[in-house]
Amino acid sequence: MRSKPTRASSTDVADAVGLERDLRLVGQRVIRHDARDKVTAATAFAADWAMPGMLHGVVLRSLYPSARIKNIDATRAASMPGVAAIMTAKDVPRNTLWTDVPGQTTAVGSLRAKLHVLAEDRVRHQGEPVALVAAETEEQAREAAEAIAVEYELLPGVFDPAQALEPGAPRVHEEGNLLAHWRVCHGDVAAAFARAAVVIEGDYRTQFVDAAYLEPESGVAWIDSDGVITIRVSTQVIEHFRDVAEVLNVPQNRVRIIGTYLGGGFGGKEDVTVEVYLGLLAWKTGRPVKMVWSRQESLLARAKRHPFRLRYRTGALRTGQIVAQEIELLADAGGYAYLSALVLLYATVTAAGPYRVPAVSVDARVAYTNNVPTSAMRGFGAMQVVFGYESQMERVARALGLSPVEMRKINALSRGDTLPVGQVVDTHVALPELAERAWAALGELTPPRAPHVKIGRGLACNFQPYGRIVWLHDWSSAWVGFEMDGSLVVRSGVPDVGGGQASSLCQIAAEVLGVPLEQVSVYIADSALTPLAGTTTASRQLYMSGNAVLKASRELCEQLLKAAAAVLGVDRDAVGLADSAVRTADGRSLPLPELLHACSRMGVPRSHLGVYHAPAGEPVDLEKGAGKVFPDYTYGAHAAEVEVDTETGVVKVLKLVAVHDVGRAINPLSVEGQIQGGAVQGLGYALMEDVVVEKGINMTTSFASYLIPSAVDVPDVRAIVVESGEGLGPFGARGIGEPPIGPPAAAVANAIEDATGARLSVLPLTSERLARALGLM
Amino acid sequence: MKPAPFTYVRPKSLAEALGCLDDDGDAKLLAGGQSLVPLLNMRLVRPTTLVDINALPGLATISPTPDGGLVIGALVRHTDLLASPLVRERTPLLAAAAAHVGHRAIRNRGTVGGSLAHADPAAELPAAAVALDATLTIVGPAARRTIPARDFFVGPLVTALEPREMLTEIEIPGPVQRGWGFAEMARRAGDFAIAGVAGIVTPAAPGRGRSSTARLVAFGAGDTPLRLPGAAALLAGQPIDRALARAAGDVAARECTPRDDVHATADYRRHLVGVLTEQVVLDCAARLGS
Repeated sequence: MRSKPTRASSTDVADAVGLERDLRLVGQRVIRHDARDKVTAATAFAADWAMPGMLHGVVLRSLYPSARIKNIDATRAASMPGVAAIMTAKDVPRNTLWTDVPGQTTAVGSLRAKLHVLAEDRVRHQGEPVALVAAETEEQAREAAEAIAVEYELLPGVFDPAQALEPGAPRVHEEGNLLAHWRVCHGDVAAAFARAAVVIEGDYRTQFVDAAYLEPESGVAWIDSDGVITIRVSTQVIEHFRDVAEVLNVPQNRVRIIGTYLGGGFGGKEDVTVEVYLGLLAWKTGRPVKMVWSRQESLLARAKRHPFRLRYRTGALRTGQIVAQEIELLADAGGYAYLSALVLLYATVTAAGPYRVPAVSVDARVAYTNNVPTSAMRGFGAMQVVFGYESQMERVARALGLSPVEMRKINALSRGDTLPVGQVVDTHVALPELAERAWAALGELTPPRAPHVKIGRGLACNFQPYGRIVWLHDWSSAWVGFEMDGSLVVRSGVPDVGGGQASSLCQIAAEVLGVPLEQVSVYIADSALTPLAGTTTASRQLYMSGNAVLKASRELCEQLLKAAAAVLGVDRDAVGLADSAVRTADGRSLPLPELLHACSRMGVPRSHLGVYHAPAGEPVDLEKGAGKVFPDYTYGAHAAEVEVDTETGVVKVLKLVAVHDVGRAINPLSVEGQIQGGAVQGLGYALMEDVVVEKGINMTTSFASYLIPSAVDVPDVRAIVVESGEGLGPFGARGIGEPPIGPPAAAVANAIEDATGARLSVLPLTSERLARALGLM
Repeated sequence: MKPAPFTYVRPKSLAEALGCLDDDGDAKLLAGGQSLVPLLNMRLVRPTTLVDINALPGLATISPTPDGGLVIGALVRHTDLLASPLVRERTPLLAAAAAHVGHRAIRNRGTVGGSLAHADPAAELPAAAVALDATLTIVGPAARRTIPARDFFVGPLVTALEPREMLTEIEIPGPVQRGWGFAEMARRAGDFAIAGVAGIVTPAAPGRGRSSTARLVAFGAGDTPLRLPGAAALLAGQPIDRALARAAGDVAARECTPRDDVHATADYRRHLVGVLTEQVVLDCAARLGS
């Protein structure tokens, strides 16, 4: 039976902060405009696009994880039927992209990392792009790519980040293998451990995982009639038009990215994917080009989530109060830097968990290897550490005989506390309530169905930053305007990854401007025609672009009401917008189209461009604990009930309750969807997802070997939405895109220990690992 | 990806189908396509001709035999096995095995003959066929022949079928085997098993719980469906209790020959074969006792 997700408004918390309740559309369970289109297959995803005369592009990829390219001979391939272009590194106007890598310790200093569009003299990971082919058909392009003769000389590689940091290890890049190193020192850790009644040490490992979106990387590029290189692509970041321009060595205003509705992003479409290759092939051939990566190549070569090694040493008083955390993190960057340094920063800042810990030290490093590169993925470093800190919380609680909920209540952050990096928590933290509700919602304990089956329960909490790092000075913009008939247009360069990003903007604009939702049209994600809104990453889009739309709508409302007051001869305060009309305090009304015509006659603008700037700050020295890193955090608690077969080690998750304080649910349906989807993705991380890389060779390049959970492998996730109204987003909303993926792995590991006494510290929590831990083999 | 180009033919008779195989040494038979089509799409196989046998008459039937057994046509779908009262009644082991094959969409298309001829060492139906001592009928250009299931499976994805031959039917001998058991462990619902065991225990006489013969077959634990003669021998003539079942499991774990892959190590597969054998033996005994 499918249990209904529950929306439980948290009246306690909400009343405490005065959550605005008299809203018409915001907070309603609205069916998103994009939902029907997707279900009826009307949505034109990136790969659905076709143009007359279109070529098909493919990427030839490296077979080896570490090799020198001695020669590339494309003579035969170039003469094959249908082939229009073959490109190698020498054909790329600017083949090397440099990025500044943050990382504050002297061991690294400020580093510039390079990325080659196409491999030059060497390859650093299996699947690294080496050449491009465009041909009349995809088959012809693939056959030609296979006919390109690349002569490799194999080089020694390094495939483990710890080994990569040893002296004499093969260098992945000339600058050395240490890519970034962050440290946090907060309080007197040694003294704090001396006070501790119990000290728990743990060594945890997490795995490579893939974003595994339904829609692989895809797009179509063409040179439009105005000469602009136009790329219609599945991306989380339309601002990559600048990267394409840089590679092509053309002005940035000569490249346009049109973002499509995405079949999933999860961070995997945050870095450049096909767009640079499409731009190159369209530029070279002058013809439209389509590129769709196969599932195999996506699994083979696309950036993964970082595997982490996490060492924790946790000291607590007999009361359960955590007094010290000593944490060492080591992550695998793979062959190129991508966003590794920032992922590690997120991990560093959140490593001690959403708890008040007076003494914390974190030493975090990320190293290059010849493995598949790693980069952004939902949770962005703040995820791996949940497995570490929540496993530790459970173990401390067990050592002291405290319940999981008590343990969290004793240690939960609250407003006014200072995080180890020196950031003062200035919004409400509902963690004790979230933990209590999650635990209570598990209900009656399921009786075991056989003597060899054990039942157990586990709790895990997390906090996830939303919005970008404050010193990145994040901003977003949106244009809101009325047409003459009273229909409303919202324009904002927001990529919609499937979370309802566009739909929420419509709800906000309609709410403020008093029109029905059906009267709103939204245009998104076009770098030439929509005001730029920044990336759909970092759980930031509702927060940032929601605020931009709110600001634009409120300004527009004000403009119109001033005009209305003039037309009606009343004070500004005596008019309001509702039901597509101006209403006066004395009961008169003026239909919106009439007001808009009047505005037109009076020269009053019927639109407004809103720009929202996030609270900004300067870079902080984490080591000195100097201050703010992120604008705010979203807090959550998950409770799991598992069944363990003690003869085979098979674990089945019977129940999962996921509770998050989202500040304000703009559309509870979308919020619950994010929570359920994230939690299920988190269960895949917990139980089965694993990109197996052996000496740099990816062993899991199909969905027969890379396992993701299907509907029958997971329970119905019960999503409980708590609304404290304390977020920085519109109407007090917090970001909810990433947070729900964090806790399931630790919640399940804790439940397994509850059931069996066995502590698993390596992800995924496979039945084989449990069988070994139980001493069955 | 899409398959490499091939010629598609859809013969209307067995003779015509065999003729197609005769014409093209690189032809492949298409039945349910549940294993072949993914292999085509990944271009792991590139046949020049695809001989679609779905229009062949008479291969999709399930018929009772006088000795209490069944003859099952090669084009019978897994779903048909599950829906058939005859199968449930006469070969309940086969029905149990079919329930573990893939997902519903796969069971709706996939065929018994296809599963046997594909011969995945981790597949359910080959193991069930060996445990049930089935006989397979093969037709070729020259003649029709029969082969016991236990001799049909030669290696991973390799069978005794010659290139121009076709599997047409499977006969499961009577009488009805009431002492059956089937268990598998897969990482996800619907996946090929990490390891599994199918078993039949046949009582010698009216006495309950005493076996004269047992056939135990492991899958996912060797290059073919793997008979476990040592474990089976342990059960012969003995009253089955938990200790004996466990002992049989221990022997089974030792005599299977699994390999490591990304999903599990050989050691874990051995462990599973032991546990599952014990469970299957107890299930066989319980069914005989009831």
